[in-house]
Amino acid sequence: MTIPANPGAGPVVHDPLTLPGDDNVDEYTFCVELKGNPWFLQKGKMIAYYGTVAFNGIGHGPLEPLVRGSFHSPLHASDWVVAEGSGKMLLADRAFDVNSYDLDEGNLTIRSGNLLAFQPSLTLKQSIVPGFLTLLGTGRFVAASNGPVVFMEPPLRVDPRALVGWADCPSPCHHYDHGYLSGVLGGLRALTGLGGASGEEHQLEFTGAGTVLLQSSEELLPERPVGGAPE
Amino acid sequence: MFRLQGSKVLAVDLTGDAVKAKNGSMVAYDGEMAFKRLTGGGEGLRGVVSRRLTGERMTVMEVRGQGTCWFADRAAEINLVRLHGDRLRVESENFLAAEAGLRTGTDFTGVRGAAQGNGLFTTTLEGHGQAAILSDGPAVVLRVSDRYPLTVDPGAYVAHQGDLRQTFQSGVTYRTFLGEGGGEAFQIRFEGDGLVYVQPSERRTIAGDL
Repeated sequence: MTIPANPGAGPVVHDPLTLPGDDNVDEYTFCVELKGNPWFLQKGKMIAYYGTVAFNGIGHGPLEPLVRGSFHSPLHASDWVVAEGSGKMLLADRAFDVNSYDLDEGNLTIRSGNLLAFQPSLTLKQSIVPGFLTLLGTGRFVAASNGPVVFMEPPLRVDPRALVGWADCPSPCHHYDHGYLSGVLGGLRALTGLGGASGEEHQLEFTGAGTVLLQSSEELLPERPVGGAPE
Repeated sequence: MFRLQGSKVLAVDLTGDAVKAKNGSMVAYDGEMAFKRLTGGGEGLRGVVSRRLTGERMTVMEVRGQGTCWFADRAAEINLVRLHGDRLRVESENFLAAEAGLRTGTDFTGVRGAAQGNGLFTTTLEGHGQAAILSDGPAVVLRVSDRYPLTVDPGAYVAHQGDLRQTFQSGVTYRTFLGEGGGEAFQIRFEGDGLVYVQPSERRTIAGDL
């Protein structure tokens, strides 16, 4: 029995030699090359690997020095593991777009569910904004977005649900359109929290110098359960 | 003849021959087509019985005619697979269509299916011809050889073809019970010679939270 190099019409067949090292396989899959160096990885985002890779939860034990140096997010500790070993590992998340970014002495804040993996040369901290994480230092990380990421520059107001993260600029503040609070209806709304208008009265406002990352969808899929398969 | 129109619609040109396809997956056709429901995956009485017994349910129709028929299912990505006398194993929920020359059947998968929540059995396709399988996001095709065994997350597994042995491996340790599990508690290891199809998304599996 022989299997042709390219069965059917479409798909490319990958093996450990043709898979890229620390780069995208396609828009939705990222390949991490492990050569004894550890990576922090969000639980359950590994889809396959060649070689020997061990996944260990973050806690006490041999990983202690690594965690002490690079992981300062107790709220999210149960969502993260350390992958160690040698081989090539594929990461993907809910068939979202996946991309890697390099930080150079940088400071980037990202929605916690969108961050898939990062190198321990970066430090992960909880952002002051709930639900976001901040990466500091130099290194590479992998993030998912629902649709391709768009880069924008402040000053700018964005829809909270389209926001993926921001880099190098001050933390955002909430902005509510003035009409939201004025008049009788506005007063009622302010009192009861009921009613609304266009659904766009609430934005996040960015000022200063930096970059804001947006995804091309306002849909934040639930963090769990992860996307299902076709039935 | 199977061809993809975009990545989510399968076009099949028929000249009096037939294809098997997932029930209800036809979205359009031109020419003359007849649709016939095949009970038990079109495998005869034996198929009816074994599919009932194994729970590997698959409602399949036979499409026969002249012209072009288009198939799609829930905007899932479609992957074409060509078989040359070898065997493809695919989860019945990921099956879209197969040329009439391919025999379908059921096969025991062992514990892997249990970890996926898909039951202990899987659907097989054998013979010469083309098949189309569904995935959530385009499937990545990974080659397994003696030098390069592959380990796959059960939630991302879609199908495999060729001469592969699969073993189930568990990463459950005492730390899992302390709430410090590695998140990849169950894995399938493939050894031998063949291809494995994985999707860039994970189904919810019982192991997903460990």
